Amino acid sequence: MNYKLIDRLQILSISLIWLLFTGIAVWILNLIKESLRLHDAPDASLGISLVAIPVFFTLSSVLTYVFIGLRKGRKKDVES
Amino acid sequence: MEKAPAAPNPDYDLLRPIEDPGKSFYYIVIVLLVIILYTGYVYIRQVYYGLGVTGMAQPVTWGFYIINFVFFIGISHAGTLISAILRLSKAEWRRPITRMAEVITAIVLAIGGLHPIIDLGRPDRMTHLFYNGRLQSPLLWDIVSITAYFTASTVYLYIPMIPDIAILRDRGVKPRWLYEFLSWGWQGTEQQHKVLDRAMNILMVVVIPIAISVHTIISYIFAMTVQPGWHSTIFGPYFVVGAIFSGIAAILVLMIVFRKVFHLERYLKLIHFNYLSVLLLVMSLLWFYFTFSEYLTGYYGHEPNEMRVFWYKFSGAFAPYFWTMVTCNFLLPLILLSNRKTRTIPGILIASISVIIGMWLERLIIVVPSLANPRLPYPTGIYIPSSTEWTLFLGGVSVFILGYMMFARFFPVISIWEIQEGRQESAKAVTERITSYMPDPQTPLAKG
Repeated sequence: MNYKLIDRLQILSISLIWLLFTGIAVWILNLIKESLRLHDAPDASLGISLVAIPVFFTLSSVLTYVFIGLRKGRKKDVES
Repeated sequence: MEKAPAAPNPDYDLLRPIEDPGKSFYYIVIVLLVIILYTGYVYIRQVYYGLGVTGMAQPVTWGFYIINFVFFIGISHAGTLISAILRLSKAEWRRPITRMAEVITAIVLAIGGLHPIIDLGRPDRMTHLFYNGRLQSPLLWDIVSITAYFTASTVYLYIPMIPDIAILRDRGVKPRWLYEFLSWGWQGTEQQHKVLDRAMNILMVVVIPIAISVHTIISYIFAMTVQPGWHSTIFGPYFVVGAIFSGIAAILVLMIVFRKVFHLERYLKLIHFNYLSVLLLVMSLLWFYFTFSEYLTGYYGHEPNEMRVFWYKFSGAFAPYFWTMVTCNFLLPLILLSNRKTRTIPGILIASISVIIGMWLERLIIVVPSLANPRLPYPTGIYIPSSTEWTLFLGGVSVFILGYMMFARFFPVISIWEIQEGRQESAKAVTERITSYMPDPQTPLAKG
């Protein structure tokens, strides 16, 4: 089995998770910008984004923490 | 903390469905695929001809798709929410149940989340949300909260699966690259266990408010309007209670099916069914309390438009569905589950199926009568679902069964490492916990 390829795929998957969640945050920020432009209850949009964006980043941070933590916690890494 | 086992273990029986799924698995998959393909054809036909092929028409513009959306998202509360509460409360009996429950959430959320798109005559218009979405709309809150819940549930399902995936990798189960990729180099070291525990503790806390927010926000789609029968302040908690209620019923049905099919009697014992069915009974009483409060408030106000919807449900065209719902959600579970003699596996199965049917009827009773009796002076609307809607409902159920079967084909539905950890450490941990809160008989009471 090509372990290097699996290693790279794992790193790619973390990058994609961050890309996805950053994309969601950018989308929400864009909607806030629209509501400001149209004077269409921007306070409500801001309120929702203040809850939603940190949730997505918490999830991606937990996943990254697990992936990096598990790789660092391998026997050969601990011993060296 | 349990280390990755090396010696053959009796719990590896749980891997049998993965290593040797049997011929019947493939036959069922083929049947389900045929149904799903036909559903795909029916959906394409709907996109081509428009929503005219459904039974929806003015004034009843929401039908099966929205009913099933609310129903499936409700069932999704079975998994992550219940699992997180049981983990957080350190309920040791949770161990063989949590993963089965969490899988329900991940699959059902994906199916439920697609229903509002199916409900659109022009699904391509979903892309408008990216540019012109209004964050003030409860519909957009739903998209955000369901996406958050889906990602949180998938992460919450996946992280505790890593040690079991490593077992599959070490046993050389195919496709090996998949298990190698998903196990992230798990070797069961103390440091890796610490990382896993810490992540799970964070997720448990994060996932509960997300799960509650999802069904609360779904209720807002109705409650934020001034439609009679929808404009209610208790719709949020009422929907959450209903969702947990139907979720527990779904877990019980799945547990009974898996116990029978995979001979899991050693893991899913009567005590698990007893605990969960008592929880189902409590939720049934809570559901009845909310239903009673909801209708009593409307009746007492006697507002003419509200009363039109009220009588439409109680004695009008929807009366058979309404009273069947009350029987399925309250009377039958109460009779079967409050009596020790009938709280057996068949009794629990009947009660659970009855609750699932009853909760689907509840969604029907919430969605249709309010639209059929609008505030404006129009004649009462009629809604008869077409074969297209029935087929898409059947397709949704088939996707769920196929999804669950595929999961069970590649991953253990009962967490092996958590069972082993429970055996080795739970008794000691529970004794310590009890000692910590019970009064010490050696210490004398302070005088005066």
